[in-house]
Amino acid sequence: MTSPYPTPELSGRKFFMNFPVTDTSHALDAYRARGGYQALAKALREQQPADVTKEVSAAGLLGHGGAAFPAGRKWSVIRPDDGEPHYVCMNADEGEPGTFKDRWLLEYVPHMPLEGLILASYAIGGRHAFIYIRGEFDLAYRRIQGAVDEAYAAGLLGENILGTGYALDVVVYRGAGSYVCGEASAMLASLEGKKGWPRNRPPRLTVKGLYQKPTVVNNVETLANVPVILALGAAEFKKTGTPKSPGTQMISISGHVERPGVYEVEYGYSWERFIYDDCGGIQGGRALKCIIPGGVSTKILDANEIKGVTLDHLSAVAAGSQLGSGGMIAVAEGTCMVRLARVIQRFYHHESCGQCTPCREGMGWMERVLDRIVRGDGRPDDIDRLYHISNANDGTTICSLGDSAGYACTAILDHYRDEFEYYIKNGRSMHDGRLAVFDPFDGAVPTPLYAGAGA
Amino acid sequence: MSADRKRGNNEPVDTGKTLDFFINGVPCTAYKGESVIQAARRAGVDIPHFCWHHDLSVPGNCRICMVEVEQDSGDPWFDIGCNMPVTAGMRVLTETDTVKKLRRETMQFITLNHPVDCGICNKAGECILQDYHYEHNGRASMSIDRKNHATKFFPLSDRIMLDNERCIMCTRCVRFTHEVSQSHALAAVHRGDHALIRPAEDANFNEDAYSDNVIDICPVGALLSRDNMDNARVWYTKATPSVCPGCERGCTINIWHRKPEWALKALDPQLNTRIERVTPLENETVNGPWICNKARDLATLLERPRATQAMVRGTAASLTEATAAAAALLAGARTAVALVSSWGSNEELAAFRDAFAGRLGATLTAYAKPDHLPQPGEIVEDAVLIKADKNPNLRGATAHFHLLPADVSAALAGADVVLVWGEGVDDGVLPMGAKVIRLDGFAHEHHARADVFIPLSIQTERSGHYTNFEGTVSPFVACFEPKAPVAHAEALFARLAGVVAVAEART
Amino acid sequence: MTQQMKNIQHLLPEFERWKERYPAGFEGSLTIPCLRRIQEERGYIADSDIDELVAYLGVPRTQVDEVLGFYTMFTRTPLGTHHLQVCHNASCSLRGAEGLIRYLCGTLGIQPGETTPDGRFTLSTAECLASCGTAPMMMVNEAYHENLTPASVDALLEELAK
Repeated sequence: MTSPYPTPELSGRKFFMNFPVTDTSHALDAYRARGGYQALAKALREQQPADVTKEVSAAGLLGHGGAAFPAGRKWSVIRPDDGEPHYVCMNADEGEPGTFKDRWLLEYVPHMPLEGLILASYAIGGRHAFIYIRGEFDLAYRRIQGAVDEAYAAGLLGENILGTGYALDVVVYRGAGSYVCGEASAMLASLEGKKGWPRNRPPRLTVKGLYQKPTVVNNVETLANVPVILALGAAEFKKTGTPKSPGTQMISISGHVERPGVYEVEYGYSWERFIYDDCGGIQGGRALKCIIPGGVSTKILDANEIKGVTLDHLSAVAAGSQLGSGGMIAVAEGTCMVRLARVIQRFYHHESCGQCTPCREGMGWMERVLDRIVRGDGRPDDIDRLYHISNANDGTTICSLGDSAGYACTAILDHYRDEFEYYIKNGRSMHDGRLAVFDPFDGAVPTPLYAGAGA
Repeated sequence: MSADRKRGNNEPVDTGKTLDFFINGVPCTAYKGESVIQAARRAGVDIPHFCWHHDLSVPGNCRICMVEVEQDSGDPWFDIGCNMPVTAGMRVLTETDTVKKLRRETMQFITLNHPVDCGICNKAGECILQDYHYEHNGRASMSIDRKNHATKFFPLSDRIMLDNERCIMCTRCVRFTHEVSQSHALAAVHRGDHALIRPAEDANFNEDAYSDNVIDICPVGALLSRDNMDNARVWYTKATPSVCPGCERGCTINIWHRKPEWALKALDPQLNTRIERVTPLENETVNGPWICNKARDLATLLERPRATQAMVRGTAASLTEATAAAAALLAGARTAVALVSSWGSNEELAAFRDAFAGRLGATLTAYAKPDHLPQPGEIVEDAVLIKADKNPNLRGATAHFHLLPADVSAALAGADVVLVWGEGVDDGVLPMGAKVIRLDGFAHEHHARADVFIPLSIQTERSGHYTNFEGTVSPFVACFEPKAPVAHAEALFARLAGVVAVAEART
Repeated sequence: MTQQMKNIQHLLPEFERWKERYPAGFEGSLTIPCLRRIQEERGYIADSDIDELVAYLGVPRTQVDEVLGFYTMFTRTPLGTHHLQVCHNASCSLRGAEGLIRYLCGTLGIQPGETTPDGRFTLSTAECLASCGTAPMMMVNEAYHENLTPASVDALLEELAK
């Protein structure tokens, strides 16, 4: 049983996802009818690999995985003709809490990132490419694997693509349950059939990546933008969005909004309009308390702090946060931030790979402290403890899981210290302690399936 | 050991090219490709580290080697020194307030779940965690929550005990089994602060002939020798440099034994003169920082029952009487053959040659013999350290004397006097009717059947040198005084040859 | 190979086909897909499966041991027929995951981490499954079930209990 996502709402103009989502809109012929794979045909027939990279650089495409690193710059480190194997890996290991836009892309328009993957491989001189996908994904996996199969059958993959002589094999590699494998170097370790332990840099992955060969790792949405850029041309592409953030962002919004879902938003769009108009405002008619903008490690902005802020990288940074991967979580007034912090730290503790000292020890420590506070046994110096652990993880770890946990925690502490102080002093939440505004299971009495089973 | 093995750096180092840079304002030189920690080590600057090892790959997980790098403009940056390539003109700072704070914080984390076992932990006194706690932290834990608990007595093998609570997941042991011993016997399983070191499920760590090296390289008391468990606090013992006699590799070792000033008075006196343990003595040219388990078990070899009583035809005699009897036999020999010990030190071998110089090639033929052969079940030779020749100084002996032919009986045929120095020669190969003089440190029942038997000191009771299979000469130093009246071979030979009067001097 | 492959013999042709898409020298990469496939069939990974896979792929045993210990989706012991994995991360919690978990515990009579005595249901908590917009939700074996309510949970469990 699958449930359809809300179709992406178009905030005003039609952008790159401007097609009606149906039962078949993900298929190859539907994609081709919309102009799909024309950019690939043109690139393979008329352009050199370096031209593709140039176009993507000129378009100013920034990565959509959270780091917003210029995609063209990453590709240009690799010389396509240096005789070494090169690999592109599509990072479809979407695991950041609150982020589900890559899943949407894979389910409803898998050929778009696939075409981008083939173009990226062409640009860097790759013969094999990989799609590393969440091990848990169900329909998303079947759709992208289906798209790969369709592409092979149509001569868009394999030997001699479209008769141009370019050859590419694509493997869809399913993960097996690890958030940290979304980190590029951990992803490649996993692709090598090993445990997902991230790696220190240097060397960069574009110098020594998969099996020690130059490798580019790009997010699904980043790659989905590539055929758009090549079809429109960089100049036309840059007419969308803002000068520093050209194009659009697929925003995943969840939490206490009336209409959660995936929205394609043009960079520069008003944040407040997005929350209050497009997403229907906050459940239960409540006021907005705060937004976690782009993944749980991005700094919280409260309702006042998003006033006048637009959804683009510069603006978000100026407001004191980042857009990250666009996985937005809205929190309503009256929600207990202490309990939310605990849920988030429980996640980080569960996912820490255990390699480096600050994260391995710090994640468990933070969860234990927050657990204790939530149980009503907090101490006044626990707040200092949490700051200490967070700061001691900042910039000292192999990958950014440790830093992220620290940022998430300090962001909540910075804004809502009073809630923590209250909880510690009184042994209970300042609010009613509930995390949901509407809990469908509120008051529901379960009927035991087995005689004698208790509630 | 394979040439492409990562030794202290994951990238190759070019010792042909150098770079100039600065550590704490002092000019230093690095080889191209070296990391800051490698170059610092050569410059005598010690950057603290747990997971880094100069002979293993770089994991960069402990984070205590963080250093500060000054920039011309902008803030300094901080990163681990073990994975930081030196660049020309780089200005590295290792003692700033920020670096010290980073070390303190790392120590807070490392000791967060570490059990305070020092009082009962064998590593105390040589534990890097203890040392760094005092040097870089010295503060109480900031945590008031329970520590994680894990397995405390996990038998990693028959020889090694693992305490998972003490483990700081530096992964040195895991990397050792993949990179040096190649047994691939250890793994890091599970995730986060539940991660554990475990043996591979099909592996038998007992079969790794180099397993005990992980005990040395473990920076904490997580990996401990089961044989040496709770024998003596390390600070009551001292390390005396020596050479392992187990094979012709001649790995340099430290033999640990009780310090004389800490001699036990109320317990078995044998405890004061026994080998407590053997550890590697690092050696660039011979064995690096490693030894095999046979070296660890040297006590088994060197503490076998000793020969302590000189004998003439099986009857107890004094050393002087036995020496005189042997000297007389040798003086009167027409075709004497001497089988020279490959456990003799270079000094003893030279003394033998000098003492018998007048007779060698005439009335005396000398052969260098292998005292020990590979035992059943023993690894004969491998690609790491172990060599087939199970004697420490056959090379030194063959520098003076011909190697004993395989057909020993043939070589001895016709001899009227046979001098057997050391082990490895049974009565069966000796010619009928020949007079037999045996010199040996260890008890064997055939000594009583010799015409003359003189007990000798063993390696731990004197100093000297061995020459290994590649020609490297390494010293060993006496650990103990001989317990019984035994002869030192070096001084004995001159008396046996009659060059020096038997009764002269006591030594 | 001389090793008897009685467990995975029938899967080898599939594994060999997979190899064709990978570059040469990437055999070790097959560790995770092969383990997934083995678990898909058997429901868990048996010790003898590991021996055979190690022999087939030529990877060190430690690599497989580490993979099995690291990733949450692998299990060395059989689970219930239906493995219910309920996300309890941030967005799901904000939309009622805690209520859902309580409801499931009450209905099934077990706590997260446990299996019903008849072996039908195993209940686990999970981290973000990228279903934040359709929370609360859970996975049942491979399938996602989203926008759950007491009624839809009751209907689902009734169906699964048949």
